[in-house]
Amino acid sequence: MAFVELDKLTKRYGQLTVVKEVDLAIEKGKLVCLLGPSGCGKTTTLRLVAGFVQPSDGQIRVGGRVVSSPKASEPPEARNMSMIFQSYALWPHMTVFENVAYGLRLRRLGKADIQTKASRILQATKLESLAERYPGELSGGQQQRVSLARALVIEPETLLLDEPLSNLDANLREEMRFEIRRLHDEFRYTTVYVTHDQTEAMTAADVIVVMNQGNVEQAGSPEDIYERPRSEFVAQFIGGANIFKGKRVGTDTVDCGNGLVLRCGSGDYAASGQMAVSVRHHDLHLTNEKPSGDLANWTSGKVLRQVYLGSHRDYLVSLSGGETVRAIAPVNVAIPENQQVWLHCPPDRCRALAH
Amino acid sequence: MAHSVDTDQLMGDKVTTAALSADSTARRHVGRLDLSTPLFLLLATVLCVLVLLPLFWLGYYSLTTKSGSPTLANFVRLFNDATIRRAFLIALSMALSVGLFSCLVATPLAWLVARTDMPGQRFVRSLVTASFVTPPFLGAIAWAMLAAPNSGILNNIYRWAFGLDQSQALFNIYTFTGLVFAVTCYSFPFVFTLVANAFDKVPSDLEEASAILGGKPGTTLRRVTLPMVLPAMLAGSLVAIVQAFTMFGSPAILALPAGFHVITTKIWSFFQFPPKLDLAAASAVPLLIVTMLLLWGQRWLLGRRGYTVLGGKSGTPRRVKLGNWKWLAGAYVLLILCVTILFPYLALLKVALTHNISEPLSWNSLTLHNFHFVLFEFSSTRLAIWNTLILGLSTATIATGIALVVAYLVARRAAPGAAFLGVLATAPIAIPGIVLGVGLFLAYANPTFGLYGTLWILLIAFLTIELPAGYQQLSSAFHGVHPELEEASRILGATRLKTLWQITAPLLRTSLIAAWCFVFIGTIRELSATVLLTTAQTKLVSVIIYDLNESGDYGAIAVLGLLLLVVSFTVVFIANRVPVLGGAPPRSGG
Repeated sequence: MAFVELDKLTKRYGQLTVVKEVDLAIEKGKLVCLLGPSGCGKTTTLRLVAGFVQPSDGQIRVGGRVVSSPKASEPPEARNMSMIFQSYALWPHMTVFENVAYGLRLRRLGKADIQTKASRILQATKLESLAERYPGELSGGQQQRVSLARALVIEPETLLLDEPLSNLDANLREEMRFEIRRLHDEFRYTTVYVTHDQTEAMTAADVIVVMNQGNVEQAGSPEDIYERPRSEFVAQFIGGANIFKGKRVGTDTVDCGNGLVLRCGSGDYAASGQMAVSVRHHDLHLTNEKPSGDLANWTSGKVLRQVYLGSHRDYLVSLSGGETVRAIAPVNVAIPENQQVWLHCPPDRCRALAH
Repeated sequence: MAHSVDTDQLMGDKVTTAALSADSTARRHVGRLDLSTPLFLLLATVLCVLVLLPLFWLGYYSLTTKSGSPTLANFVRLFNDATIRRAFLIALSMALSVGLFSCLVATPLAWLVARTDMPGQRFVRSLVTASFVTPPFLGAIAWAMLAAPNSGILNNIYRWAFGLDQSQALFNIYTFTGLVFAVTCYSFPFVFTLVANAFDKVPSDLEEASAILGGKPGTTLRRVTLPMVLPAMLAGSLVAIVQAFTMFGSPAILALPAGFHVITTKIWSFFQFPPKLDLAAASAVPLLIVTMLLLWGQRWLLGRRGYTVLGGKSGTPRRVKLGNWKWLAGAYVLLILCVTILFPYLALLKVALTHNISEPLSWNSLTLHNFHFVLFEFSSTRLAIWNTLILGLSTATIATGIALVVAYLVARRAAPGAAFLGVLATAPIAIPGIVLGVGLFLAYANPTFGLYGTLWILLIAFLTIELPAGYQQLSSAFHGVHPELEEASRILGATRLKTLWQITAPLLRTSLIAAWCFVFIGTIRELSATVLLTTAQTKLVSVIIYDLNESGDYGAIAVLGLLLLVVSFTVVFIANRVPVLGGAPPRSGG
């Protein structure tokens, strides 16, 4: 049995369903990322887990007991969870130490106990010299660390993070990504982490859950999600991909029209009707010489735009069928705009998508 | 489809999970009761009793005969009684004139202060706020001291300067014009504040766009700036109209000696012996309806969010250089400040410090007799001061407390139907004080409650009257506190109430103290509901001042008025200094 379980969890606001029958099981000590574009329902899911929002249907179980259901929900304060907020939510009228000690005081710990525990976590987050400062006197990164310390010091059963890095600048964000993972490895709390940033999710997560329009599109390890996407949305949202729509014509062959027939190395096939094939931008090979021999997995088009980016060239190619695809090529493949090109999609880089 | 992940670890985790689950079940039983639902019900009841009960009795009395059967006879009597119709019309025309003149006086002043290079702008702004603090009835009395035809100080000076005899007078405040003048003096700040804010917010690039297209400063002002503050001007005028229309003190002081009634004084006269409660209830209904319509119009005007409120500032506002016009502008500002603040306050000081109002001021005529009389000889003042203090402190504390919890429940949607509480807490703004006075008298003076003649009925009245001020202050303050600050406290283990107490209240400290001061000042100057609900045992300073005015004891009035002003200004001063007094300096949030 998993530690945190979402069972057909649904949240409706009037006519609008923002979370649709989400099923998810999170093992103890794992860090799970909810990843998706804004408005996909990931933050609502997190707030449902925290208890700030009550479900319309389904339930949430933590350690086997039901904490949220449409009938009755435990209030957030009874869940022994911690949360790190997008705005950090540091209380401006309390010093760093008071902010960190707040949760311990609520648990009625003795003075000495509070002092030891708070000092230990301040040390772990490299804040001990700032203990008497007010949040307004700290930099963004320091505020972020205070918010981490405040959440960790109470040794929660579950830690929730709501886009914790979105207010930091790029350098700090990279540093804090690793910091969050390091602290997780040290303390091993069951963690749910909400983000719209793919790199953040890949760095931090044991398991990535890709959400879209209130549904879970796919859940799996970062490698799983990137290498073996199961839907168009996942393929495009994680890493970016060209999607070719077509019809299955053989065991592993899809006819995408206009002479483009793709043999796929992996993926799921629809039993009948429309399906799709995804090819990552950097897996499309460009050449200006007409290929000879077997034309399977080849197509041609015209260069619409080409940008030199130092490490590679970014191409936009208009195919004869009318679609536009994006390809990333080594710098030495330099084909001017408006020229005819041939594109090759190696079968082992073509992934079939049933839907 | 279930998204079970890492099932290979499942077996290993099972044991610890079970142990933890038992652990947390035990912790769950530590007494954590969420009180928000009972609290919500309690508040809903309290607010219903405060707001709806008096209105219910008002409606009931106006629509029934003495035996309790339904009738429209009261309204028929109301309509056929020419004196009531006249009082109503006089009140309306007085209120409309006040609205018009307030707008005419306040708009140029607001423009000078907000959009020109006139010196001393901050000073003028704070002085206009000062005339806000002056209770209008006190201002009216001060103007009676200045411009009464016989004893008025200004008339005395006029006669002395031109050697005229006693029958000559320059001003007569006991007229319709005098009343409009005295009320306008203390209503124009409503227009001023709104219009000055609107001028502050007109983005300078809109004016620059007009200038670059060839608009001269005058054209720009006329075609761009003024139209943008027009909604604020109208809205402010409507507030001034409502204030004037529902006012009891100033008309009672200036109109009654002049021999005419406005609707509020008429209602009050129905309470004099022999009381005609049904007629009082019936005449309160049109007053209530007109007030509600006016306020609805004001909300609609401001609520359209037409132009000025939108977007806020873009760049600092352009300031017009006055050049030599600044002398004219300065004279205008000085005139307004003299008329509304300087002259009345000096008159009060002069009267307080001399034996007789018409006595010329000299070192020999100075006396502390009036202070001695008020504070030590006149028996009812000490009781009144004591009562005023008790009611001011308790009203301010209770109203701020209720307003805080209601604003919290509404802002955080903490209970289903919380928005309804917000409506109830704002509703009294549309109930004129005298109407509420009638309603409360009908509701609580009966033998069941028997509250007439106690301080309780006054406390209920003040709570109802002042709740909107406190609520609006705090509900706007809640928008400045990020909800995540509270959620962070909840998830760490604090209940709603504990969070409200430990996180929200300290963060709102400045607004809480400001709301408290607002309510306190509002309470100690209240007259229109008080005058119907007070008895000899429950006199308040405001009522004593009113009573003394009827007996013509100006010296004592001046002393009490100055006392009221000193207390009010002290409270305002403390409120402005609070961030410094309150310990930790204000800090920006994380």
